[in-house]
Amino acid sequence: MSIETPLRQDAGTTVQHQPMLQVQDLVVRYGRGRKAATAQPAVDGVSFTIQRGETVGLVGESGSGKSTIGKAILGLQKASGGTVAFQGEDITEANPSKRRAIGSELRAVFQDPNSSLNPRKTIGASLAESLRVRGVPAPEARTKAEDMLERVGLPREAVDRYPSQFSGGQRQRISVARALICEPKLVVCDEAVSALDLSTQAQVLNLLADLRDELGLSYLFIAHDISVVQFLAQRVVVLYRGQVMESGPAAAVTENPKHPFTQALVAASPVPRPAEQAERRAVRESLGVRTAAAVAATPGGCPFRQRCPLATELCATERPVLRRVGEADVACHYA
Amino acid sequence: MIPTLPATTLSTQRKSALTKLSGHRLLASPAGLAGTVWLAAMIIASLTAPWWMPFKTEDQDFTAVLSGPTAAHWLGTDELGRDILSRIFASAAETLGTSFITVMVGVGLGTLMALAAANSQRAEGVISRVTEIMMSLPGTVIILAVIGAVGTNIPLIMGILGVLISAGIYRVMLGQAKSLQNQLYVDAAKVDGLNPLAISVRHVLPGLSTTIVVQSALIFAVGLLIQAGLAFIGFGPPLPQPSWGGMIQSASQHVYDAPWLMVPTGVVLALTVLSANAIGNALGKAPNATASHLPSAAIRRKRATQAAAAAAAAPIVQNPPVAGQLSVRGLSVGVDGGTPLVTDVSFDVEPGTVLGLVGESGCGKTMTALSLMGLLPSGVAVTGGQILWNGKNLAAATDKDMEAVRGRDIALISQEPMRALDPMFTVGYQLTSAIRRLRSFGRAAARAEALDLLEKVGIVDAPRILKTYPHQISGGMAQRVAIALALSGKPRLLVADEPTTALDVTVQAEILSLLRSLVKDTGMSVVMVTHDLGVVADICDQVAVMYAGQVVENGATDSILDDPRHPYTLALLAADPHANSAHDMPERLATIKGQVPQPKDWPSGCRFAARCQFAGSACEVPVPLLPSGSGEGRVRCVKADELAMEGLAWVATDVPVVNPVPAEVPARHRLDIIEKDMA
Amino acid sequence: MAMFITKRLLMALATVLVVAVLAFLLVHAMPGSPGAVSLGAGASQDAIDQLNQTLGWNDPLLVQFFRWLGDAAQGNFGNSLIDGRSITTDLANRLPVTASLAAGATILSAVFGIVLGVTAAVRGGLLDQLIGGFVGLLVALPAFWIGVIFVYLFAVQSSVFPATGYVPFDVSPQDWAMSLALPVITLAVGGAAFIARQTRASMLEALQQEHIRTLRATATPTWKILYVHALRYASLPIVAGIALQFIGLFGGSVIAEQLFAMPGLGQAVQTSVSTHDAPAVQGVVVIATVVVVAVNLVLELATKFLDPKLRAS
Repeated sequence: MSIETPLRQDAGTTVQHQPMLQVQDLVVRYGRGRKAATAQPAVDGVSFTIQRGETVGLVGESGSGKSTIGKAILGLQKASGGTVAFQGEDITEANPSKRRAIGSELRAVFQDPNSSLNPRKTIGASLAESLRVRGVPAPEARTKAEDMLERVGLPREAVDRYPSQFSGGQRQRISVARALICEPKLVVCDEAVSALDLSTQAQVLNLLADLRDELGLSYLFIAHDISVVQFLAQRVVVLYRGQVMESGPAAAVTENPKHPFTQALVAASPVPRPAEQAERRAVRESLGVRTAAAVAATPGGCPFRQRCPLATELCATERPVLRRVGEADVACHYA
Repeated sequence: MIPTLPATTLSTQRKSALTKLSGHRLLASPAGLAGTVWLAAMIIASLTAPWWMPFKTEDQDFTAVLSGPTAAHWLGTDELGRDILSRIFASAAETLGTSFITVMVGVGLGTLMALAAANSQRAEGVISRVTEIMMSLPGTVIILAVIGAVGTNIPLIMGILGVLISAGIYRVMLGQAKSLQNQLYVDAAKVDGLNPLAISVRHVLPGLSTTIVVQSALIFAVGLLIQAGLAFIGFGPPLPQPSWGGMIQSASQHVYDAPWLMVPTGVVLALTVLSANAIGNALGKAPNATASHLPSAAIRRKRATQAAAAAAAAPIVQNPPVAGQLSVRGLSVGVDGGTPLVTDVSFDVEPGTVLGLVGESGCGKTMTALSLMGLLPSGVAVTGGQILWNGKNLAAATDKDMEAVRGRDIALISQEPMRALDPMFTVGYQLTSAIRRLRSFGRAAARAEALDLLEKVGIVDAPRILKTYPHQISGGMAQRVAIALALSGKPRLLVADEPTTALDVTVQAEILSLLRSLVKDTGMSVVMVTHDLGVVADICDQVAVMYAGQVVENGATDSILDDPRHPYTLALLAADPHANSAHDMPERLATIKGQVPQPKDWPSGCRFAARCQFAGSACEVPVPLLPSGSGEGRVRCVKADELAMEGLAWVATDVPVVNPVPAEVPARHRLDIIEKDMA
Repeated sequence: MAMFITKRLLMALATVLVVAVLAFLLVHAMPGSPGAVSLGAGASQDAIDQLNQTLGWNDPLLVQFFRWLGDAAQGNFGNSLIDGRSITTDLANRLPVTASLAAGATILSAVFGIVLGVTAAVRGGLLDQLIGGFVGLLVALPAFWIGVIFVYLFAVQSSVFPATGYVPFDVSPQDWAMSLALPVITLAVGGAAFIARQTRASMLEALQQEHIRTLRATATPTWKILYVHALRYASLPIVAGIALQFIGLFGGSVIAEQLFAMPGLGQAVQTSVSTHDAPAVQGVVVIATVVVVAVNLVLELATKFLDPKLRAS
């Protein structure tokens, strides 16, 4: 459960006691060659665990590496170091046939409803593809697709239509249907609601919550918006420049953040109540976090130190390790 | 998100057209249709030529050498008295067929290379190198050398030409193949465990089909021309077999005594090439390209006439004009040719205040904002109402009139700061040339002012930033630069179109603070377009909530957000996870069923009724903006008072909506269904 | 930047080498041994064999290749099998003809193409359609056909220009220009149409960029938006199109040279291919490639210089 405790199960441990997903010291570097090897990695030693039925939220700003982590888990991006274990099995280097084997249990919902469905294929063909790959006969796959569409609140007739005939929110529900059609255990939702308007965003969030409760799913919910994450997640992992800053129960991290970056992130997220927002603004201004604009990324030490009001010499030389502060794990020398 | 609304309307039209056979697009274009007919006629005529040709290709009629068109020889005869018509069609089949070899080889190889390159970066590196070499070869010279080696084996030569051409095809296809390969549905297929080959065949190749057809048509034309050119310089099929190029060559020998000879073969060749090009162009025409941000001269002239007519028709009602006050009265904006995008929008912005235009996408916020500056995208125009500024009606102003207002009185900042700055010029050039233009400063004074402005918007190393190009700075920094650019003419009103949507929240907070202090320091006013109710709470004094092209509720920010009266505002607040903190986060968020209707589907009654929990039969008639109970706000809902009195809140529908009405059903039908549901 | 230039130079060298290998192999696949070609149809087999031996035709292919490459690197492409003249000298005389043709046609087509394309994009409406139709027609007309028509109109009917022949620049600059006029215009017609299309498309794309709206929002005069900002944005693909055009015209000059009896490289290829003059074919292929690759390199550097993103990297 805790971030710090690495996988220390005995070889004989049964599958039931394995966490759903265990990410250990994951490192991802983009590009090849000497330049890439010396640059700051996009993901820099990230570890976390998702238990059965648990939803973990991965929050961070652009460039924090949150989507890269999702891609590495799904095999869409090669990991440069560390391991990803799915139900105890190392899938870091899984090849397509291995992916096909676990692909029914580990699935994804992506951000952009416009590009996540092939515009030239019917909804039915898109939904059935994952079943057909696994040898399910066409008529059965079609029936399953119809059932699944109904489950996400769309008419069964939608199987014969094309994505362009649906709105963004409906398409995102179709994406959810495609993810769930082969009864997965873990779904990676990469900014799954960010492109949607408020009212449709709420529809999809509710749907994800319902399906989780009904099917006992685990989610890795990746988003830049901490309020959206806290609706769905039991635990939240906060990233900054590829490193975990803070992780812990959703309520603790969002209501009582310990890391200066998390504090800045929470205070900067505006609320639609003018009086409360004025208070938040005052809090944010009192934090003294420096602007992101003037800061260049330099490797070594704490990645947040140049913006951090608490930073000292120590922060430039020594990368803080995650340690327990209250209910959460915090990577800060001074939290 | 600029022209959100027309973009969606246009894209639906495009998508539905796409699902049909691409042939429809071909038939829709007169040139494409004519081309198809000509090519088809050529193919049929050439294939059947042996049966209908009036003469054999080698029949010599010495009574009519070098004759013009006659009853016997419709297209005349050549220097040996051979019938031109027969010779043209006798050689047509082979000419067309061998050109097709170039198409098959060139487009086939090019497509395969593009698919392979899109699939792996390593393959792309190798293939791109090879094709770069191929592209920098003098193709014609190589082909001639090949002819030297293998003789005039036309099919083989045309095949090798195809290989040379494939490099160009690859270049054309690569970008598209890569963008298809980067689509999320390809990622989804990878997660499914599909192998790379299957992904290329099932998800990438179909997306290239239009380009393949277009390129095939164009390459077919190239093949025809090159083949004829080769025959012209003596490398055609072995004599006495006729060829188009060879016939033009022999005609050219007689241009002094029989110029007519040039005409028939030349025209047939040109028409065939023209047909192939026309087919390619008709199929390849982007059905609805993004709207231009600078309408063409023809459109601008038309606009100016319309503006003059509108100005003459509508007298200005504002009296007396208040300096720095913006009054929008009954503003309507629509697509040229009818569909309204914004109807009857009115609001005032007092100096030194911030008005928020808030709503979901497709509600007309951005169109309303852009109309204030006369910067609606081409194809969209103000269709009614007034925009009153300093005693002038900007809605009836010409582009020329607006040039005096833009930048100096009213300035714009937009959603994507990176795209809002010109990538080809330095920040310094863009900023100083705006200052020199808007404030009539000299070079040195403009530079000093630019440094001053950059510091004012919170940039610490202004001299360095002046020398950078937009791609060298971060999004937050670019938005600061864009704000500095907007301030360069000391405007009294700033139109901000989702200025923080593309930014990280911490950067958003910084930009909002900056805007707030600018308003305080300079006394300018702001029209802030946003979908984020939190941003409204943070910076706006007044709010106008927009839905489906109308203002449905307006008033002071505090009263609207704390005590909303319109069901849509109620629903938006209930659906917003930001409105709740972790400890009081509800099990389910409130939702609004369905989605914002397309402009063409707007009902005549309340436009929100189809999605409203409280709608009834009273909502079927048009609803005016009525005074709402609180303060000076107004609300467009017949039930607002009733709801406020009973203290009704928008409830979270606890059951997931099963079988919602699909998007295609017109809104009026949806209303029926909802009423049935409520009954 | 130095790194980039080095890389490109190596790439150019590789291109020339690849072509050298190709040319060598192609020429060796030509029918007939050099002896047979050189001595003509009446020669005895013994004489042919003996000449082949002298020319090194019986040496291993690799030996022959490196001997040829070594000579070529020093600028010696050997002697013609037909009349024994030095191929290097011959090509040196011919290069200026083709270069003037291709350069003249490229410049002419660039000027007309850009003017037509920009006008179509900027003016819109009926004018755009008219230009579009005109350009579409020009693209479809084969250059050799247009050339013949020009000869008929300007040389036969009105004798404004000489119908055929080439006058070197140092003999008479005025006659040089007159002799080039028709072939250059002939080649430029298609080229101008191609560049006009490229320019129109690039200008329209430039005008769809959001920064155009920012420029309007800061009251930038329309002419400046069009001819400074949009044209600058569109310049990259236009320059690339001109580069392609030069390559095409350099090869395409074969037809113009034949039609107007110009003693250029194209004519050399045509005759040497027809007569199976192997060393001449090799020479002209390599020289043509060197010129094209060099021009390509220059234009690529120009593109790089035009694009701030590339320049910075």
